[in-house]
Amino acid sequence: MKLARLAALMTCTAVLVGPLGCSSENGQTPSAGGSPGAGGATAEAGAAEAGDGPSNGGAPDTDDVSPGWSVTASTCAEKLTPQRMQGTLLSLLLQPVLAGEPFVFGDPNPLADGSAVIPLNFRFYISEVELLRNDGDAVAVDVVTAAGEPEPYGVHLFNAEDTDSGTLRVLAPAGDYTGLRFALGIKLACNKQTPANLDDPLDTASQMTWPHGGGFLYFRYEGRSSVADSGAAGASGAAGTNAASEVPPAVHMGGNLVTEFVPHVTVSGALSVPRSGTAERELTVAMDEVFKGANSDIDVSDFAVGFRSTPEAVAGERLRRELPELHVFELKP
Amino acid sequence: MSDGSMITKRSCSFLIASLSFAALAGCSGSDPAPANAETPLLITSTTPAGFPKGTNKDQAPADNALTEDRALLGKRLFYDPQLSRTNDVSCATCHQQAYAFSDPGAVSTGVDGRTGTRNAPSIANAAWGRSFFWDGRAHTLEEQAGQPIENPVEMDSSVSDAVAKVAADPSYVETFEKAYGEPPNADSLQKALASFVRSLVSGNSPYDRHLRGDDTDFGPQRQRGEALFLSEKCECYHCHPGGQLSNEGYFNDGTYTVGGDTGRQQVSGRVGDIGKFKVPGLRNVAVSAPYMHDGSVPTLEAVIEQYDQGGRGDPTTDPLIKPMSLTSDEKADLLEFLNSFTDPSLLEDARFAP
Repeated sequence: MKLARLAALMTCTAVLVGPLGCSSENGQTPSAGGSPGAGGATAEAGAAEAGDGPSNGGAPDTDDVSPGWSVTASTCAEKLTPQRMQGTLLSLLLQPVLAGEPFVFGDPNPLADGSAVIPLNFRFYISEVELLRNDGDAVAVDVVTAAGEPEPYGVHLFNAEDTDSGTLRVLAPAGDYTGLRFALGIKLACNKQTPANLDDPLDTASQMTWPHGGGFLYFRYEGRSSVADSGAAGASGAAGTNAASEVPPAVHMGGNLVTEFVPHVTVSGALSVPRSGTAERELTVAMDEVFKGANSDIDVSDFAVGFRSTPEAVAGERLRRELPELHVFELKP
Repeated sequence: MSDGSMITKRSCSFLIASLSFAALAGCSGSDPAPANAETPLLITSTTPAGFPKGTNKDQAPADNALTEDRALLGKRLFYDPQLSRTNDVSCATCHQQAYAFSDPGAVSTGVDGRTGTRNAPSIANAAWGRSFFWDGRAHTLEEQAGQPIENPVEMDSSVSDAVAKVAADPSYVETFEKAYGEPPNADSLQKALASFVRSLVSGNSPYDRHLRGDDTDFGPQRQRGEALFLSEKCECYHCHPGGQLSNEGYFNDGTYTVGGDTGRQQVSGRVGDIGKFKVPGLRNVAVSAPYMHDGSVPTLEAVIEQYDQGGRGDPTTDPLIKPMSLTSDEKADLLEFLNSFTDPSLLEDARFAP
């Protein structure tokens, strides 16, 4: 398994200080919460003091309620005001899988018909991460680096070629959650920017840029398939993608500079964040579901014009529209 | 894998035999002329249009800040054949200014007439690079700088031997002290070379001016070519985006065929990386022939033809490389667009010359 399982675990409780211009004394005071995401959950309003401990019984810290991502929806700041100054580092190990097995970058991944698929380029953005409470509310959390500092623009770029990118880290208030939600891509305010004016992970080296006056891909996959050996069919019998013919050579999702286009993904699953130490969970990325969405017959004729008419862009838009029906991401116990 | 096959960017090469070391160093036994009001500075704030944020100084690592003294020292080393075992091959042998610091030969010739397997690409604007050599095996210019010195088919020496040679020259010792505060050593030698390479900025092409809003030298044919370059028909932009005209990634562009140089795969070991090479920036591409990792394509016209065919047909070719069915007019437009990347001032800038 070459994709990141490394998750260099950090100090027990990360503390955000310094570079963001916020001291630990005057950690940001959440304002009245807005709607934090497309899913409709609403963050609670209320002031918070940094560093307060969690409540008993595993309930999320009530004083860690964040203002939600709607507060920053209209801006694309490289250095963000953090949601909170303290929290527990939660590492989510992004693990692509195919038919339940690790989907190994750059190597042949066997299919049931005896053929194989070799991923050549696979990357996607995650931003606007929220943890979900059992009462339906959402707690916005900062996407942070291994050092516990906010990632630039609040965006994480998963790049299958770079093992360091295989861990999505967030700084979370302690508590028990029922899942998480995130944007599979970047918000419109960032998507409209010119990459030459931005830094990693939103520069041209991200390999996620469109050329036409700005704009980014949210999700990019390219691969090639080998022809099945005769007599090898049925070797696996696993569910999901069974044949090379079911694997699109390229999937590029993104391509709208006018309206908020980024899909939000909700992943259900018990998620406990301790008061001290760190937490780590595996978040799988089911490529079978990705390919299923990309191959769907949903009508995208209103999208497929100009530079968005390529097979890969059409596949990406089909995936985007099918996402609510798919189970691409899954929290593993 | 043979030694020769390990070479990607042949960073250093033979010295033009007729040039003496004394001439290269400026004047025998003495310091290179210091920067002053009459000598334009190597380090400027020029940034090519559309490049990532920051100047070349901003790209330098914290432990090798880009200074005039360091770049000047690096320039002297860059043109110094003493770095090779045979004292007749310098970095400038393969990276010739007249060709935008690339090699007009398909593959370069090192010591004792030895040849490698890869073409020496232009190193102008390398300051903004994320990895170096055609297979990306070096992560920094500092790391890159020592490899050609030790490559058997390039300079076939060792960094320690190179250090010993320059350390025997008092003027070098003085210059190292001035630049790095210490006598010559392996670390500072490589840092100095990296500093000179980092100073090689090319940002005065018609394309730069076009990106800045001046289309005086960017007429209708170039505009049509640009539109094609960015179109869904050609999709050149996926690998060659923005002003840098490289996404700094590794792709199999269809040049690889079975039995050939496997490129990135030699670094990663991954089957999927067979035939992948680092995407070169296209600045000054019209003056840096021949093309591709192995210099096997002699002209830009031939490059366009190869891409129009969708590569050479190997199944490892990237799925985004597909036949384009370009018309002859479209090919001419693309060619003219590529010609707009040439910055003539780079080719004759005295600051970068020996």
